[in-house]
Amino acid sequence: MQASANNLNNTTITDHLVSRCKKGDVHAFRELYNAYSGAMYNICLRMTGNTADAEDTLQEAFMQIFRNIERLENAGSVTAWIKRIVVNHCLSHLRRKKVYFEEVDNIDIEEDNAIVDEDNFAWTVAAIKEAIHVLPPGYRTVLNLYIFEEYSHKEIANMLDISESTVKTQYMRAKDKVRQIIKQKNVIR
Amino acid sequence: MSESNFEDFVRQHRQNFEEAGPPPGVWAELEQQLAPGKKRKVIQLMGRHWLKAAAVLVLMVNSVMIYQFIQMKKAQHLTNVSPEMQEAKMYYTAQIEQRLETIKRYPDALLGLDSMARKELELRNETYQVLETELIQNPGNERIKAAMVRYYQLKLDLLDKILEELREKQPVSQKQSDYEREI
Repeated sequence: MQASANNLNNTTITDHLVSRCKKGDVHAFRELYNAYSGAMYNICLRMTGNTADAEDTLQEAFMQIFRNIERLENAGSVTAWIKRIVVNHCLSHLRRKKVYFEEVDNIDIEEDNAIVDEDNFAWTVAAIKEAIHVLPPGYRTVLNLYIFEEYSHKEIANMLDISESTVKTQYMRAKDKVRQIIKQKNVIR
Repeated sequence: MSESNFEDFVRQHRQNFEEAGPPPGVWAELEQQLAPGKKRKVIQLMGRHWLKAAAVLVLMVNSVMIYQFIQMKKAQHLTNVSPEMQEAKMYYTAQIEQRLETIKRYPDALLGLDSMARKELELRNETYQVLETELIQNPGNERIKAAMVRYYQLKLDLLDKILEELREKQPVSQKQSDYEREI
């Protein structure tokens, strides 16, 4: 009961904030930015791989958010809407950097057939972050969108304009790469 | 489920993967961009109502043109074109109107002029208007100015002659007393 009351209250606050943003209230823009910039900056950081590009992408994305918020029909979906704009800006940034998301058949992947026993693999946050950071941008994008941004394979396929099976394959290969990198760098003790 | 599974591990330590938020400079840049955004919104609104905006613009341009036309017409008035002629006009007008008033006091039968001839006696007849228009169009033309002065003088001479003849036929004093009696 308490949780549903809090949800209702949060919904009202969000509705009011979005409504103020739609009227062009700069203070409301600031509040919206404060509420979402942290999480969105992390998306940019993971997707672009460096702070300078992450800051530029975040800025571009928020400018689009402010300019287009009057088109947002359902204030309840503001989080998903903002996140999608940020992700789209990150993807545009990657495309400008000539990162292509090709079908699996067209890419040459160095296979590592070593089977890693996941149950005995001691993961750490620092090791995974470091490994993801050095992944090829194409792999990193698919892995980030699936594991951190929690989009489905189908949604990722639509975003990258590739098939769902390619997304699945690329994700599996990206995950393998992470394991290989961690193993090679001997990050895991 | 074992924590060693990659997906499970990431989900269970999700918050630990988060970095600090963006530096303050990002908002500062955004805030700067938001100011010209207001101007952009005005342009967008104008775009949405372009027909109304165009109609208002046409009306404004028309108003300015009409104002300028009126100002131009005012500037073309004799006072602005030739102040000395305006002065001459005032002098002769007073003289001519005084004589015309006197002439009007005499009965039509005694005056012996038809309506056309009476019209010619009026101050601003066709000849005068032609001369004045000519002078406005050619402000520095001395021949027109001389012709206008000559026109006034001829008119005055003519009126004086008429008055002289009328006085000979019927003195003004008698006419005036008749006129006063009628009142």
